[in-house]
Amino acid sequence: MSRVVTWRALVAFGALAALPALPLTSKYYLLLAFDALLFGAIAMSLDLLIGYTGLVSFGHAAFYGLGAYATAILLERGVLSVWACLAGAFVVVSLYAAIVSYFATARRGIYFALLTLVFAEVVYTFFRYTQTFGGSDGIQGLPDAVLWRGVPIDTPERKYYLVLVYLAVAYAVCRVVVTSHFGRVLVAIRENEDRARFLGYSVQRYKMAACMISALLTGLAGAIYPIRSAFATPDLMLWTESGEFIISVMIGGLGTLVGPILGGVFFTLLRDKVSSVVDWYFIVIGVVLVLIVLFMPKGLLGLRRLVGSRPWRQAA
Amino acid sequence: MKRVAGVVVLAVVAALVWATAPAVSQPKVVRIGDLGSKVGVFEGYGKYQTMGIQMAVEELNARGGVLGHRVEIISEDDETKPAPAVRKAEKLILQDEVKLLVGVVSSGATMAVMDVTKKHKTIHWNSVSCAEFMRTTKFHKYYFSNQPDSRMQANGLAKYIVDQMGKRVYIFYTDYAMGQSDGRQFKTALERLGGEVVGVAGAPLDTKDFSPWFGAINAATPEVLFLAFAGTDSLRLMTQLHSFGMTRKYKLAGIDCFLLQQDLPSIAEPMEGFVQLNHFSAYNPDTNMQAFNARFKKKFGVDANIAAGAYDAVHFWAAAVEKAKSFDPDRVALAHEGMCLDNTHIGRQCIRKEDHQVVMDMHLYQVKGGKNLPIARIAGTDSIGEPMVGKDPVEGFSWELKKKN
Repeated sequence: MSRVVTWRALVAFGALAALPALPLTSKYYLLLAFDALLFGAIAMSLDLLIGYTGLVSFGHAAFYGLGAYATAILLERGVLSVWACLAGAFVVVSLYAAIVSYFATARRGIYFALLTLVFAEVVYTFFRYTQTFGGSDGIQGLPDAVLWRGVPIDTPERKYYLVLVYLAVAYAVCRVVVTSHFGRVLVAIRENEDRARFLGYSVQRYKMAACMISALLTGLAGAIYPIRSAFATPDLMLWTESGEFIISVMIGGLGTLVGPILGGVFFTLLRDKVSSVVDWYFIVIGVVLVLIVLFMPKGLLGLRRLVGSRPWRQAA
Repeated sequence: MKRVAGVVVLAVVAALVWATAPAVSQPKVVRIGDLGSKVGVFEGYGKYQTMGIQMAVEELNARGGVLGHRVEIISEDDETKPAPAVRKAEKLILQDEVKLLVGVVSSGATMAVMDVTKKHKTIHWNSVSCAEFMRTTKFHKYYFSNQPDSRMQANGLAKYIVDQMGKRVYIFYTDYAMGQSDGRQFKTALERLGGEVVGVAGAPLDTKDFSPWFGAINAATPEVLFLAFAGTDSLRLMTQLHSFGMTRKYKLAGIDCFLLQQDLPSIAEPMEGFVQLNHFSAYNPDTNMQAFNARFKKKFGVDANIAAGAYDAVHFWAAAVEKAKSFDPDRVALAHEGMCLDNTHIGRQCIRKEDHQVVMDMHLYQVKGGKNLPIARIAGTDSIGEPMVGKDPVEGFSWELKKKN
């Protein structure tokens, strides 16, 4: 097996592919699994920035929301092809991500985080106030997208497999990135940005590239969301959404790719279960996060130390 | 490495399997879903919706349930946003297998949930949301409403505003489905009746500071300030209007869900004289309302309010199921059409066949001393308007102001 396609990955995705066949899996749980895997995929994309490059983005909800709006606008206008929606989202998110990453990567630390947040708030406010895109109600009542002629994505099973394929592709991309020379430079930047610069690397270009890759993967995840939910609203771009992505990365374990996937899945399932029991579910999630930060700083994937595996963080 | 792979796969699969543990079904039980805002700007409406449902279910179970099935309620929070509302609606329908879904509160979220109830053929009652799309372009055969929508409220209230309060009206609305809908319908109705809309403005849902709009309102010199807000938005708006002296300067009117009765005493002074069209008040001497309110107060220790219309929604559904002798959504939906009930919280009500809207007699109310007191009665047939299923209520409408000399 290669460094990208591993037996572990094949087994994991094989197990996930078999999930709809389980007798206990209802349609609702397939939709919940969709949400969980999509959230996991976004957290993994964000981990490229936070975990590998050392850049904390508070604006990933904007990439996610822009991708969702690109799909929603196309579906609303009768362009039902999944491929067209993904292409549309790719173009829109690329343009926005290029601007954000150019300016944000010129700064580091808290300034990078604030710049991403400010850009995202601008996008959120634009969509919230613009009635052409439905204002605060967003775009609703979207038709089913089609994979190709005669194959609509209209059942929970098809939606689940769509997100699973997306997760697999996104994981492969992220693996290629982190196992390449490029990925090692990102880690070098994370560990000591000045030294990386002195070694002759164009640090901002590397950070911009990482930012673009992370943003595009998040934007494409956003493009898939309306295919499952039939709507896109400005709430998808709210800073709290970005916060939930960061929480998922932290729950799962920074700089591990697989950890944030687990974190996203865990967060989504926890939110679903707890919110059905108590109204103030985010207090419970907050307590869980505090406990993880205090007692499991390496996240859920840090648990593997308990089974005697190798150190939690892969440099590249 | 293999151990790591094992842990990862097991963790993901275990988490998903845990989540897929099926709810234990009990024989002879039918579940209904209560989906509403339990936190946030519309929290009060969601909580009273739940109370109304609980009261109706208790009565149904006391007399043997529905078709011999004991009724169980499953309550979920929509967080006043479309995404959680859709997630929870799917959970209620696909996992809990509810036969009736009551909700939600925010019109934007209700419209998103209507796509879910349509797709999964589930009887859907709305007792709080009022955007006009729900009985026009978004309407579907499983959807019913006993909340007067924007058009009904405009038809009933606009004439009173023009005749009794003043012809120059400024419309200030919350900028999402509900407020926009109210703004459109009131502008249309006011202009049709000879009133002049001297200004319109929308503020986003959950606005904290409304003062940036006050200058424009004052500059337009209206006689009447028509307000289409709800929940904590209304509380903040009235407090700020009052502190700027604008509650004394203008006559005030607004939508039915502007504030719940429970909020009025704490904001009595700013709300003094506020006029709205409404289907229920605990201070209405109507015998049906008083009887219902007495039972509600005995059970919950507080007065009922408009959100308790959910009580009737459950009883309409139960009656339709009994009539259809089945929980099949197509048969139950058909059984609803044209159905009348005598013992609702405001007396006899009937469901119009064409758009599944309950024809509700309402009252004009004016706030005096923190109480919503009736000043006139409006027959439901006078306010409901023509059925507009499938027609775009926005077509031909313009926010452009038509100046009068």
